[in-house]
Amino acid sequence: MVVETMTIEVAQASAVGFKAIGAGLAVGLTGMGTGLAQFGIGAAAVGATAENKEMFGLALLFTVIPETIVIFGLVVALLLLF
Amino acid sequence: MFEPQTMSKLLIAASKDQLEAVVRELYRHNLFHIEDFVESNAQGLEGCKIGMPLPGASESSSELVRIRSIENTYGVSSKSMDADEQKMPTSEVRQRIERELLTIEQEAAAFSGERLSLENTIRDYGTRIAELKPFTVFPANLADLKGFENFVVFAGLVPAHVSLGVPNETFITAYDKSNLLIAVVPREDAEEAERELFEAGFQSIPIPDENGTAGERTVWYTHEITRLEGDLEVVSGRISAQKVKNATFLVACDELLTAEVERAEAPLRFATTEETFVAEGWVPTDTVEALTSDLQSATGGKVFVSEVEFDPIEDAVPVEYNNPDFSKPTEMLMDVYSRPQYGEFDPTILVSIVFPIFFGFILGDVGYGIILLALGYYLRKFLKEGAGQQLLVVFRNASISSIIFGLLYSEFLGFALPWDPIGINRHLLIGSHATGHGPDVVLMLVLSIWVGILHITLGRMIHMYNASKMIKSGHLRSKVVFGQLGWILVMWGALLMLWSLFDMPLMPVLAGYPAIYQGINGFGIAGAVLVLVGIIFIGRESPLELMELPTVISHVLSYARLAAVGLSSVAIAMVTNYIAIELIIDPQLANLSIFGVLIILIGIVVFLIGHTLNIALGILGGGLHSIRLHYVEFFTKFYKGGGKKYEPFGKLRKFTED
Repeated sequence: MVVETMTIEVAQASAVGFKAIGAGLAVGLTGMGTGLAQFGIGAAAVGATAENKEMFGLALLFTVIPETIVIFGLVVALLLLF
Repeated sequence: MFEPQTMSKLLIAASKDQLEAVVRELYRHNLFHIEDFVESNAQGLEGCKIGMPLPGASESSSELVRIRSIENTYGVSSKSMDADEQKMPTSEVRQRIERELLTIEQEAAAFSGERLSLENTIRDYGTRIAELKPFTVFPANLADLKGFENFVVFAGLVPAHVSLGVPNETFITAYDKSNLLIAVVPREDAEEAERELFEAGFQSIPIPDENGTAGERTVWYTHEITRLEGDLEVVSGRISAQKVKNATFLVACDELLTAEVERAEAPLRFATTEETFVAEGWVPTDTVEALTSDLQSATGGKVFVSEVEFDPIEDAVPVEYNNPDFSKPTEMLMDVYSRPQYGEFDPTILVSIVFPIFFGFILGDVGYGIILLALGYYLRKFLKEGAGQQLLVVFRNASISSIIFGLLYSEFLGFALPWDPIGINRHLLIGSHATGHGPDVVLMLVLSIWVGILHITLGRMIHMYNASKMIKSGHLRSKVVFGQLGWILVMWGALLMLWSLFDMPLMPVLAGYPAIYQGINGFGIAGAVLVLVGIIFIGRESPLELMELPTVISHVLSYARLAAVGLSSVAIAMVTNYIAIELIIDPQLANLSIFGVLIILIGIVVFLIGHTLNIALGILGGGLHSIRLHYVEFFTKFYKGGGKKYEPFGKLRKFTED
């Protein structure tokens, strides 16, 4: 087993790396969450709109509600990176 | 402004001999929203019956059906046509209908028949070519395979060579990954041969009924199809010549007859007795006088028009927007959600101002703005009226706002303009030229949060205004008003508490004052009190609403998308530029070679694809997120909607005049 000496530069570099990984996870996982939530709502919304065109506005509204989750992820990622 | 048009309910009564004059006058004004009469024992109209159509209704409708069928043949539609400068007088249209309609109709029928038969023949020949295709590898005359008395012919595809155990003459050759097999066997052995063939995986195909080899016949059919397509083109040319000649007349007829049919059927919506009729309906209040006096003069004073009292909240009053011209196109975005109720606060003007600002804040880029502007102007050719046209105007305003914000952000397709960003810097540190301190992410986030706080507070305040205006019961009204005040107090109280604990850019600095209790300073305690009072107010309106308390935070944070979506769009643009220019094009330009030119072309393609995608994402991101913030975060605070559309009886004439 090789024990690496961790200099300050290495520690700083890996901190930056971990931040980037964290940011990626934040966007990726929340994106999946939003997708999971939207697929059911989206399918139902398209169905409702097909039956009654007046539903479109309301259907769109329902569909975009879970988008907030991924936006939070994006915000967290941006705060991590900058 | 900020409210739909004021309406008046009119009751028009006259004797039946004035019916036609009244209907004609109402139609001409295009103002009267007819309230359909339902036969019931409603007070005042007991025993009234639904009226009969005016004479001439059925003739007009049958003529209209004929006109529509001709329009269909020629592909004429009044929607896609611009009105002529010279409108056609109705008397002329009438005369021409009697004189020319039959000829035009016969012409159209002949053309459409000819076109149909040509199209059918071409399709038929196409099928025959497809049927002949497997036999093109068979060199003999196809007619020779038919007409045997003592033999049976099998034709079809087999996966592998097969030899039959019965006397036979077989032709087999490779065709399209399989083999074409034609076997002639004596009739008495046919069953045996069939069994063997099917065991070998034989798929029968019918032998085409043709005289000649398959190759010859295919050539002949192909020639025929080319010839017929030529004929079809000639016919189509004649049809479009006829279309040009007759289009104006047809749309004028359509308009005139539609008007006649609609007028003739209007009495079906009136209440009538033996001798009189009563029409109820709505008109904008400022037009009542003009309409009344015109009705009086059209009937020689033999009509009774009176305004009826109505309940603005209980009655389903039709709603017509009342907005300045600038905001009119945005009404389309309102209709997508829901039309305001009568008497409700109409937020169209707010949306028409705030929506483009949000859009520009998200997609602030001069280059994208100009491209979207051009795209909008190009699409105008296709969307001439209605919601599409309105959408394009909204889109245009949004693009202009995007250009303005682009100038502030100093962005052009992700490149920097020759000046520093004014106020907010969104330039990410991507590429070798990247200098400076990177984007002001925190600044943008806090700014968008501020937008959220103010937008939501405004929404709650409008709800208070609506409630004080539309709810009659004083007790309920004060509950709702204080409930909304409670929401505002909770939000601002929470903010006070946050401010008293943390220093944040662009926010009041309240931390650092001496603590009063448990390390919390005076502002923090004031905030806590506000939150508490707010919760009591909300709970008084409805305890269930307390479940919604977390939305105070989530709805405000939702506005962070203004910053986040915009930054991601900048990032895509800058990464596209970095890949296309710095990684692909620049190294080749340094020492140019013939191969290098190819790579540069690839770089340009990458650049174009990247930016096209980003524009598409920008429209979705900028447009959908901006409107979503209105629909979900803003409207849910106060907006009810569900108003009935004001649809006046009548039509603005585009092609004809009296």
